Amino acid sequence: MNLAHLHLLLNHVPTIGLGIALALLVAALLKKSEDLKQAAFVGFFLLALLAIPAYLTGGAAQIALQGRTDVSREVVAAHQDAALLALIVMEVMGLLAWIALWRFRRWHETGILVLAIVTFGLVASAANIGGHIRHPEILLQGADAPVPGWPRTAAAGAAFVLDNPWVWPIAEVFHFVGLCLLFGVVLLVNLRLLGVIRGVPLADVTRLLPWAILGLGINIVTGMLFFLAAPEQYTQNSAFVWKIGLMLIAGVTLLYPTMWGANGASMPEDRAPLSGRIIAAGSICLWIGVIFLGRFLPFIGSE
Amino acid sequence: MGSLAGQIEQSGVAIWIRESGVLYGYPLILFLHTLGLSTLAGLSSAINLRLLGFAPGIPLASLARLFTLMWSGFALTAVTGMLLFAADAVRHSSNPAFSVKLIFVLVAVIALALTRTHVFRLQSGGKVLAVLSLVSWFGALSAGRLMAYVAEFVL
Repeated sequence: MNLAHLHLLLNHVPTIGLGIALALLVAALLKKSEDLKQAAFVGFFLLALLAIPAYLTGGAAQIALQGRTDVSREVVAAHQDAALLALIVMEVMGLLAWIALWRFRRWHETGILVLAIVTFGLVASAANIGGHIRHPEILLQGADAPVPGWPRTAAAGAAFVLDNPWVWPIAEVFHFVGLCLLFGVVLLVNLRLLGVIRGVPLADVTRLLPWAILGLGINIVTGMLFFLAAPEQYTQNSAFVWKIGLMLIAGVTLLYPTMWGANGASMPEDRAPLSGRIIAAGSICLWIGVIFLGRFLPFIGSE
Repeated sequence: MGSLAGQIEQSGVAIWIRESGVLYGYPLILFLHTLGLSTLAGLSSAINLRLLGFAPGIPLASLARLFTLMWSGFALTAVTGMLLFAADAVRHSSNPAFSVKLIFVLVAVIALALTRTHVFRLQSGGKVLAVLSLVSWFGALSAGRLMAYVAEFVL
């Protein structure tokens, strides 16, 4: 299985997943169920993570299709533009869902519901255009695949990085700033779970978590700038594939300290239960692995 | 080449780091440098955010243990930094971004030491030190990251 193949697997996740999470949220609001609402928010957060590899593998699929005469480059480009727009809105939705999970605030419900409906629309149209790339059977007989007039988001992003020589270095600086913020706060929170730091309620430590999310956000944005400008440098690199894989699992481990106490449970004063300590240690190792692969990326992985 | 930087660059260790081409050479040192600096600057920044009033419920005393980890991070960054410098001593020593980076690191490390000796003992204050530290880490990261570009465009 190559990355283009993986794209065919992953590209259904945002559409179907969003549908399910959206249904959960509506049911939660109708039944006034906090548990269902949390489940929906977790779903939105996970989907925001999974949308990243769905987009990145699309880059690999695009390269794999290059030079084929039976594939319309215009349709591929329109699909990519729609997907990038959907990805951006999806990440904002994931951020809001994370904030709602971190500190339950009521105004987030409506905001997330509206944003999720918008995102679903964007994801569905990206998927619809994508379907036309290799499925002529779904078109009316004899019709050409429609090329919708999407704003050229992907090309504009690439041009922004490539035409301005200062963008790449500045993005690299901020990629390191984001990395330090994220790693520092993650280390602190997980050391509290492990019991290395004691004498402080977990709820007080997790008030720093938005800074870790800010760091993660900075790195997703700057990382996407690198990818938009030079996709072939990354899709052909196995170290990058592993880096993204580890980052997604590491991202999921952020949910553990985020959601502690959401159901009224209180964390022991000294250290988390064994399962929590395993997640905390795993989280630290995963983030170190992400840094390792990022650093080794230029030296390994590309043939 | 008779200069000190030239002599360093021609030492056996420096040549090995620069030219061996093995993954446990230059790439590993670079990774350890990043790991050390992100531990040091990351934890230091988290403590600074606490000093600035975010997460006020965290007692400073509970964070005192982090200094061992931060100083370990500093040691790792310093040792690997010297190795990386040695591998390309002539270019690095004439790179203005490198001097700027060292000054920022010096200020940040002094601010960290003062935070430990003054703020943690008195259990209060430290906002000025926290801002100074955050600015210095940002400056050090920027200058360090931009060294390659300064070398390319200016030198």
